[in-house]
Amino acid sequence: MGSSSALADQDDTALVTLVADGDAAALEELYGRHAPWLVARLMRRCNDSDVVLDVVQDTFVTVWKDARRYRGTGEVAGWLWGIAFRRMVSRLRSRKDVVLLPEWDTVGRGHVPAAEDEVLLGVEYGDLAGALARLSPEFRSVVQACVLDGLTTKEAGKLLGVRQNTVKTRLHRAKAQLRGSLALPQEGWR
Amino acid sequence: MNAVELTAVTKTYGRTRALDAVDLSFDRGVTGLLGPNGAGKTTLLRIVATSIAADRGGVRLLGRDPHGSHAELTGIRRELGYLPQELGYPGDMTAFGFVEYVAVLKEWNDRARRLREVRRVLELVGLGDLATKRVSKLSGGQRRRVALAQALLGDPRILVLDEPTTGLDPTQRADLRRTLSALGGHCAVLLSTHQTEDVAALCERVVVLAGGTVRFDGTVTDLVATAAGRVWLCDDPGPDALVSWRTGTGRHHVVGGTPPPGATATEPTLEDAYLLMLGADAVRAPA
Amino acid sequence: MTTTWHVHDDLLADYVAGRLDAIVGASVEQHVARCAECRASTTPLVDPLLLARGWDAVRDTVQSPAFPLPVRLARRCGLPEPTAVLLAAASSLRTAWVVGSFLALTFAALAVVLAGGQLLAPFLLVAPLVPVIGVAAAYGHHQDPLETLVVTAPYGRTRLILLRTLAVLASVLPFTVLLGLFLPGPAWLAAAWLGPAVALVPTLLALSSFVGPRVGVAVVALGWSAVVLFSLRGLPATWPVEATQQLVYLVLAAVSLVVLAARSSRDRRMGAVL
Repeated sequence: MGSSSALADQDDTALVTLVADGDAAALEELYGRHAPWLVARLMRRCNDSDVVLDVVQDTFVTVWKDARRYRGTGEVAGWLWGIAFRRMVSRLRSRKDVVLLPEWDTVGRGHVPAAEDEVLLGVEYGDLAGALARLSPEFRSVVQACVLDGLTTKEAGKLLGVRQNTVKTRLHRAKAQLRGSLALPQEGWR
Repeated sequence: MNAVELTAVTKTYGRTRALDAVDLSFDRGVTGLLGPNGAGKTTLLRIVATSIAADRGGVRLLGRDPHGSHAELTGIRRELGYLPQELGYPGDMTAFGFVEYVAVLKEWNDRARRLREVRRVLELVGLGDLATKRVSKLSGGQRRRVALAQALLGDPRILVLDEPTTGLDPTQRADLRRTLSALGGHCAVLLSTHQTEDVAALCERVVVLAGGTVRFDGTVTDLVATAAGRVWLCDDPGPDALVSWRTGTGRHHVVGGTPPPGATATEPTLEDAYLLMLGADAVRAPA
Repeated sequence: MTTTWHVHDDLLADYVAGRLDAIVGASVEQHVARCAECRASTTPLVDPLLLARGWDAVRDTVQSPAFPLPVRLARRCGLPEPTAVLLAAASSLRTAWVVGSFLALTFAALAVVLAGGQLLAPFLLVAPLVPVIGVAAAYGHHQDPLETLVVTAPYGRTRLILLRTLAVLASVLPFTVLLGLFLPGPAWLAAAWLGPAVALVPTLLALSSFVGPRVGVAVVALGWSAVVLFSLRGLPATWPVEATQQLVYLVLAAVSLVVLAARSSRDRRMGAVL
C-alpha cells in the first residue's frame, strides 16, 4: 500500500482519489499538508482553538466520506476551505460573541513588511489592498464573505444577517467601486 | 502444568471416529499439526478452541475444565485466540470494523483502549494501511491476515490457528513466522497446515495425526531424522519406491523402497519424513 | 503567475500569530490558499500537539465510524457503547429493516381502519409477526459468518442473540402500540395483540433451539396465520385476542420458557443453547 514516501510525491488531487478509494494513509498525508494552514486561517475568524480544531476534524471526516464527490475542478485547497468555513459558519451561528470576520479597522501590531514586500504585495493584487481599505464596512464584509471566503450570496446573507438581494447589491457596488479605484494611477508605482 | 492437556480425547461423528483416545499436551512454543484430510486436525483444534466438546476423555485448558461451570469456560475463552478454517465477513465491514467487533465480543469495553488494541494487532499482521478497506475488497491472503489479527487480540495464552498460511506468499509466511516465534515465548501456539514446509518454517514441535490417532509427537528435527538413509537421488526410480518425482536437475527424488543402483543418498526433508511415516495413506489421500 | 513570489517567513509568522492587520492578512491569506509551498511553510508555525490531537480524532472516526441512526438514538437513551458496537453490525437494526416493518404495520393498520373495524385480521396478523421475524433475523443470516468466533468468545452467543432480540422488540413494539391506538373498536384492542406477540417470541426461541431459526420462524408464522385465518370463518373479529385465547398464549409462552431453561441447564457444557 502507499508508503509515506510514495504518498509525499502525490499531488493533492491524486491523494483525494486515493481517499475516495478508502486509503486512510492518503487522508493522513492530506491532513499533514492542509490542516496547519486551515487552522491558521480559521483562527483569524474565531479565537477558540477547541472550536477551530473541531471544525478541522469535521472537515477531514467529511473529506473521507465525500471524497468521491470532488470533481477535480479548482484546487483541493479551495475545496477544503469551502467545507471548513461553511462548517464553522453553521457552528457559530448561535454564538454571537465570536468574531467571524477579521477586524478591518484595527492597525496591525506586527512588524511592518519590508519595502520590497510591500511592493510585491501590491503586485499580487494591484492596489486592491488600498482600494479595499477605502470601502465602507458593509461593502468590505460582503467582499470578505463572498470574494475572499468563497460563500454564495445566500450564505453570506445568512452570515451577515441581511437579505440575499442586499448582499448582491452591495457586492455589485463594491466591485464597481474597486474597479473605479484601480483604474486610477497609483502613487509610488512605476 | 501445561497450557493444554488432552487425555484420551475421543470425538465421534456418526460412524466416523474423528479422534480416537488422543493424548497430547502443549505448552509455550509453536506446535504444528500435520496430517491428511480427515485426520482429525480441525476437530482437535475445535476442541482446544472450545468450539465443540469432546465425547470422552479429559480436556484441561490453562488448568481449567471447559466442560465445567460457565464461569470456568468463560475464563478460558478470555485468554484464547482462535482462527477458524473458514470465516465469513458480514456485509460491508472494513477490516478495522471486523476486528473491532470481535474485540467487543472479547470484552474490550473501553473505546480508547479497544481502538489502540485493534490498531496494534492490525499492524502486527501488516495491515495497518489497509485497516479502512472493505474486507470484500481485500485479497484472499489479506482476508486471512484480518482473521489472524482478531485471534491475536489481547495477547492470548493459547492460540489456535487452523490453516493460517492459506493464501500467503513466501514473504508473508516469513512475516508470520516472525510474529509467531515472538508469541511462542509466552503463548501455546497450535497450528494446522497442509504444507510441510510451513511446519518446517514455523514450528519447533510437530504432531502428525492420521485417522484420528497420533503417529508422531516430537521436534521437527527428530521427525526428519526418521527418514535418514531412506531418501536418494537417481536417474530411474525403482519399482518399489513409495513416491518419487523428477527434480529440476533431471534426476529423480525417490522416497522409500530399495535404492536402485547408481543412487546417491540425499538429505531428507520434512516432507519426505512425513510421507514415509504415513506410508500409503499419505500418498493416496495427500494432505 | 504566483510561483516566484512567496511569503516572507516573518510575515507568515505574524500571520499565524494574528499580528497582521486585516488588509495585509487578507493578502497573505489569499496567496497561501493558492501556494503549496507557503502552505508547507505554515506547518512548523502551528502547534504540533494541537494538530496531532486533531488527527487522532479524525483517525478514530475514520476507522470506527459513527453508528446508524437507530443505534445512535439508543445511545442517547443510555445504551452502553460496547453494546452499541455489537448492535450496529446486526442487520435487524439496519434502518431499512426498521422502515420496512414500520411500513408493513402502517399498511396493516390502515387496512383495518378502512374496513371500518369489521375486519381486524390484517393488523392482528402482522403486528405479532413483525417482532417474531425481527428476532429470527437476529440470528444473523443463515450460518452467521462470525458464528465460530461468537461461540468461542467470552461474550457468549446466547447473550448476543438475546441482546438482538431485545433490540428488535424495543424498536418495534412501541410503534405498534401507538398504531394500535388508532384502530377502531374496543380500547383494549390497542394492546391485545401484545399477548400473542410476547408469547410467540419465546416460542420461536424454543423452537429454534431444536430446528434452527429458519424452520422455527416458518412454523410460527404459519401457525399464527392459521389462527387468524381460522377466525375469519364466522368468528368475531377479535377472536384471536380474546381472553380465553390470551390464556392459551400465556401457557404457550410459559412452556417455551421452561423448555429454554431446561435445555440451557442441560447444554451448559458449551454454554450455547440457542
